[in-house]
Amino acid sequence: MDEIRLKDYRCFRDDQTARLAPLTLLVGENSTGKTSFLAIVRALWDLAFSYRVPDFKEEPYDLGSFDEIAHYRGRRSGKVDAFFAEFSATTPSTRRLPKKLVSQKFSALFKKLGTTPYPVHKRFSSDDSWIEEYIEKNNAYIIKVKTARGIWEKNLDKHLKERSIIDEPMMPPLILFEMAQTSGENKEERLGFKPLDNSPAFGPDDYEVLRKFPWYDLSNIRVRPFASAPVRSKPHRTYDPSHTTRDPEGDYVPMYLAEAFSQRKKEWASLKEGLEWFGKKAGLFDEIFIRRRGQRDSEPFQIHFRKLGSKLKGPSRNLIDVGYGVSQVLPVITELLRPDAAPLFLLQQPELHLHPSAQAALGSLFCQIAGKERQIIVETHSDHLLDRVRMEVRDGVGTLNPEDVSILFFERDELDVQIHSLGIDREGNVLNAPDSYRRFFLEETTRSLSL
Amino acid sequence: MCAIVDVNVSHEVFGSSRPEAGERFFKWLNSGEMRLVVGRRLLDELKNGRAQEWIRQAILAGAVRQETASTVDTREELLFQEERCRSNDTHVIALAQISGACLLYSNDKDLHADFKNRRLINEPRGKI
Repeated sequence: MDEIRLKDYRCFRDDQTARLAPLTLLVGENSTGKTSFLAIVRALWDLAFSYRVPDFKEEPYDLGSFDEIAHYRGRRSGKVDAFFAEFSATTPSTRRLPKKLVSQKFSALFKKLGTTPYPVHKRFSSDDSWIEEYIEKNNAYIIKVKTARGIWEKNLDKHLKERSIIDEPMMPPLILFEMAQTSGENKEERLGFKPLDNSPAFGPDDYEVLRKFPWYDLSNIRVRPFASAPVRSKPHRTYDPSHTTRDPEGDYVPMYLAEAFSQRKKEWASLKEGLEWFGKKAGLFDEIFIRRRGQRDSEPFQIHFRKLGSKLKGPSRNLIDVGYGVSQVLPVITELLRPDAAPLFLLQQPELHLHPSAQAALGSLFCQIAGKERQIIVETHSDHLLDRVRMEVRDGVGTLNPEDVSILFFERDELDVQIHSLGIDREGNVLNAPDSYRRFFLEETTRSLSL
Repeated sequence: MCAIVDVNVSHEVFGSSRPEAGERFFKWLNSGEMRLVVGRRLLDELKNGRAQEWIRQAILAGAVRQETASTVDTREELLFQEERCRSNDTHVIALAQISGACLLYSNDKDLHADFKNRRLINEPRGKI
């Protein structure tokens, strides 16, 4: 995702756009909408790629019902009746020649259905064409399409067979064109699109443009974004073998590590190397290993760490006996390092309980991992993490270029919040910073220096 | 507007007992009305711990701009070859030319002359 656009969502009243990069850092005071921002990123992903109605109560983001999510405009205006969200992305097309980059946009308008937000209007855009679908109050389902030649509309009656496409687990309008393809000649007429705004009749060229509409190949199942909770699960002295399904608190991580250790040696070796690299950089541990409490995989196990002296090996320590920061960061770094990692990470305060030097090391890890294949969006209050990212970019450590980092500064203004998109240049300068950005820190420094 | 502080008088801007001019200069910087520009060399030469600490924090806040060392060095080399500067602080003039800074806080008479030299700093003209 390159950009997110929001309007009337939570504390974001104005229509505003935030730039996303391979590594995006969300900063700002408490209650300025950083978590809400992460939640809408996941919601848009779910809607656009999985074609599933977002659950705004799903952990780790419980935003409540529509009334809690729609923007409050003040006493007289009250709550808005709809909110808007959009993302744009530039990706290699799966339907055109390989390597050709396609610019795409997906937007949704959410209205209240019962008590929850429901996407009544969705638009998939690419260049000068788009496909739009919306559901009206009388339950009418309408598809509008646009090509360079004009705009057309089709109203799907609820009794028509075609209406069943709404329940398909992929972008419905595309199925419509796939279905029409089998109908042979005059398929454009059979599609039944009515011209709007003096557009010509829907023709074969328009049909071809829309049939090959470069939306993502939804048959290619994508891993959902990994959304971590702000507080991860407590460490245990001993773990019983259990599930390995991802969850925001990282309950599954010990079992995932144990399984990799005993069943997937190559994967474990790679994970161990990555975890130990971070452990050393952060000064947390030099070695990580799994200790089984029996002979079989089905028996309990422990996660152990060891610090190495210059000549002697230190004693091994159980996860519960090392600093709390280790157990809190372990789920995050494991998820980042695993070979089947998600293409998009939504992390809330991954620096929790970590010493400043370990927070900075986390910044280095993000710079190593973020890239075209893996996008990381981090909500953070850590100066050390932010500054390390700035320095890694300046010093050319890792593969990130200045344009690969975005800092989104969330600034409260009365009841609303403004998102400022900041950047970093080759000298590590923070670009486009408003005067209010880090004003608190500068004032504290000025005061402490008696200036 | 961008400004440069000569390291030799940084204590007048960031020190504990400042002259009125230094105090006013710092207030401009702190208010965000004026943006300080520094080069790596200028930053390294700053011996004043207070100045270093404040500037470090201001860089993080985007209130101080650090220019690319290699670009400043190349310009300094050019100025040196052309022998157009009177002062021995050619890197300050190079920094001003690269960044567009037109305000200088300094007590160096030769540097004043260079900064006011239209052939070196122009559009906008340099002010001391």
